[in-house]
Amino acid sequence: MSFIILIAAGLLVPLFYRNNIFIAKMIAVVAFILAAYFIYAGNSLHAIFPYFTTDTATQLMEYVLLATLAAVSLALTGFERPLISQMLFLAGASLAFLETDNFFMYIVLFEVIAIISYILVANIRNFFNAEGAIKAFIAGAVASGIILLGFALFSFTTDSFNYAEMNVSGKFTLIAVAIMLAGIFYKLTVVPMHGWAADAYAQVNHAAAAILSGVIKSVVLVATFKAFYKFLIAYPVATVLIFSFFAIVTMTLANFMALWQKRISKILAFSSIAHSGYALIPFAAAASAYSYAGVLYYAVAYIFMQTSVFLILNDLRRELGVKYLQDIKGLYKVAPLHSLFFTIQLFSLAGIPLLAGFLSKAVAFYAGVDAGLWVIVLIALLNSALAVGYYVWIIKHIYFDDTKSTTTITMTPGSLIGQLILLAGTVYFGIVAGNIINATVAF
Amino acid sequence: MVAVDIIFAPIFFSALVYFLTRGAQHLAKYIALGWFIILFFIAFNWYHQLPADGGFLFLGNFLSVPAFGFELTLQIDALSVAMLLLTAALLILVVFTSWEEKNQAAYFSLLILFSGPIFGVFMTTNVLWFFIFWELTLVPMLFLIGIWGAEERIYAAIKFFIYTHVFAMFMFVGFFLLFKQTGYWDFTLIKEAAIATPALIWWLMFIGFAAKLPLFPFHTWLPDAHVQAPSSISVLLAGVLLKMGAYGLIRFTVELMPATTIQFSMWMLVLGLATTLFAGMLAIYERHIKKMVAYSSISHMGLVVVAVATMTYDGLSAALYEMIGHALVISPLFLLAGWFHHKTHTWYMDEMGGIMKKAPYAAAIFILAGMAALGLPGTMGFVGELTIIISAVKSFGWWIAIIALAGLISAGYIIWSVRRAIHGPMSPIVEKANFTMSFPEKFALAIYAFLIVYFGINPQPIFDLANQAFSFFGGM
Repeated sequence: MSFIILIAAGLLVPLFYRNNIFIAKMIAVVAFILAAYFIYAGNSLHAIFPYFTTDTATQLMEYVLLATLAAVSLALTGFERPLISQMLFLAGASLAFLETDNFFMYIVLFEVIAIISYILVANIRNFFNAEGAIKAFIAGAVASGIILLGFALFSFTTDSFNYAEMNVSGKFTLIAVAIMLAGIFYKLTVVPMHGWAADAYAQVNHAAAAILSGVIKSVVLVATFKAFYKFLIAYPVATVLIFSFFAIVTMTLANFMALWQKRISKILAFSSIAHSGYALIPFAAAASAYSYAGVLYYAVAYIFMQTSVFLILNDLRRELGVKYLQDIKGLYKVAPLHSLFFTIQLFSLAGIPLLAGFLSKAVAFYAGVDAGLWVIVLIALLNSALAVGYYVWIIKHIYFDDTKSTTTITMTPGSLIGQLILLAGTVYFGIVAGNIINATVAF
Repeated sequence: MVAVDIIFAPIFFSALVYFLTRGAQHLAKYIALGWFIILFFIAFNWYHQLPADGGFLFLGNFLSVPAFGFELTLQIDALSVAMLLLTAALLILVVFTSWEEKNQAAYFSLLILFSGPIFGVFMTTNVLWFFIFWELTLVPMLFLIGIWGAEERIYAAIKFFIYTHVFAMFMFVGFFLLFKQTGYWDFTLIKEAAIATPALIWWLMFIGFAAKLPLFPFHTWLPDAHVQAPSSISVLLAGVLLKMGAYGLIRFTVELMPATTIQFSMWMLVLGLATTLFAGMLAIYERHIKKMVAYSSISHMGLVVVAVATMTYDGLSAALYEMIGHALVISPLFLLAGWFHHKTHTWYMDEMGGIMKKAPYAAAIFILAGMAALGLPGTMGFVGELTIIISAVKSFGWWIAIIALAGLISAGYIIWSVRRAIHGPMSPIVEKANFTMSFPEKFALAIYAFLIVYFGINPQPIFDLANQAFSFFGGM
């Protein structure tokens, strides 16, 4: 039911948004709320189709996803109106993606989400937008090809596509899965397959970037963990080697790259890549009972923080033309509310306690420690300390420098409500960890 | 419920104060003052409720995640109460000394925000929450230094934030390792498990606390942060934030891993001595008045580490006394250094000269606090240094009497500073300056002066607290 509502709303919304974007937004928000209600009532996809199952952890991720997308749709302005219906389709596809228990459906839905993401970035207004959009498209297409190749090899050796029977042995399977992971790593922006991401995130419309880097990545993260969990358990040595290596390379390289940047959107893009690195640690620690909690917590915290910072940047670029670090000097005088939200979310990204970013790191790293991966956790801790450097650098520009500007801008009510929703998520999951951890116990 | 409220309520208070309208800004300081006085009385009330045998007073369990042992367990013993009382008292005095700070709503809201986590640090026995509060104290401090500080405030604020955050990570890894070993996050349960801790954990924690203290190789953030911070915030840095390091050192290395601490006590002693003497020498060399006070502060914290390194009841009591003494002695020095700068617009002591004639009240208190810093009998400094020397000599032998050199060095820099800045021929800068002091500042300085002399003559109340706190060492 929730799936049908979302798709129907997605088809309905374009009828309205030429004339009245407010109605379009309201339809979207109501659809998200109804979808959440039907998930709560147990009437989600698995009630209609086979190949879909649900559990508390999946449901939690779905609520978080719907809340985030509702916040994004409230914050949009007329210029970004095509995003509303794309988000509704994305929500429908993501619900299916999160609930599927079948590898075939995983591939299909991965493609669907990839195509929605190409449409998201296709709002090309100038040369720079075009660069980001085309990089995202070509890299995504290559990734899809690689995943299909891996899947083709994989289907040679297995009779079933069920996640539950993924622990098939054989070197051939290992190679097949490795090829598939290479494709998925494109989407998760894991170094060295990250090349497209920094440009795409930084140069497409920032509202689209919020969805692309914040929402889609966390959905892919959780769904991928569910898909490969059995496999990761079955090949402990390969798992630890592959995922630890990529985790370390990703976070270290991305953090150093972020330190160099002058454009705010690039800093946030590289920070998003670095977060992919941290999120791989619970993958490497699949042997630990807390690995799923780590992945889920990371996805939940990340979806709030990353979406929020890109949405604020979107407002700032629209209202003030903010691009470079020097443009936000003394921002707190010009845009006090934006500065406040931005600062809190940046602190969360940096891993300051009582915000979701800290607990998500703590749980993910705890899973690593639990699996005995000391060195990686230590490197990750040093990395997150390094990352504080550029987050605080942004905050320094906002609060400590002086501005010549005397005008002030205020938040639109929709944007304010959207940011409050995201902030509520960041703070709630920063203090209360019980939900997520209890949800994943049964897994 | 009151226990968890006083940690989290400041978040809401501070938001409330932050959004005070322009006309109502002056209310901010009264709200802050009222809140800090309430905190002081709550802490005082807990002091009377402490169990007589020196154990913990249980205040409750909150926000529980049983699967992880992630519970906000609030328990306090005499050591925590000593720190809570000190913190609340300093916060009250800080409100007086920042009575005329600009942009009051924001300033006092950050100060209120700071009061939550700092109480949390001293109240929780869950090491994960300890770390959380430890890190949270950085956020208001970052803004307080970065916005209200002196000329190079931004560099100092960011250096302070990153430096302490990086070293806190070492501590965090240490906590994780402890959890891996015992399966508990709760300090008291870890203590009961009494595992043989590997040296690695001890060193990780020691480095984390040493950077906060700060000990000699890790001290470089302090001169910048203290000099650039507004004077009242320097008081908080020296009086409360550095105490977090000393508190952690006693709580985690001494109480939790006594055997390992004894094993490495020589290292602690050497680092403590090096800090004391090295920072003292740097203070002699300084022309910059606030840097001189900052180095003097480092030097005194070195003495605290020497006292902790003795690993005896006497030594720890002396350390606790010196921690409180240091806070009360260094605070007026920082305040007056900042005040002199504010009035004369120079940082350099040799350009001040003759302040005594123009501002006798301030100069007198500067001299009194300076004399306490060099250990004049009858002040807190004397009792602190004397007890530390006695306990160190008892534990390490007569050669340790070289820490008496610290007293000599501090006599050097204090007397020379007084000679240059307070007495001496009146400089043209001082001649021109207008030295009027507001009543709240005078009042706060008078309280500092009173406490320095009162506890100097009558040190027994603090040693009573110490007796309760360290009774596990056998007591008197």
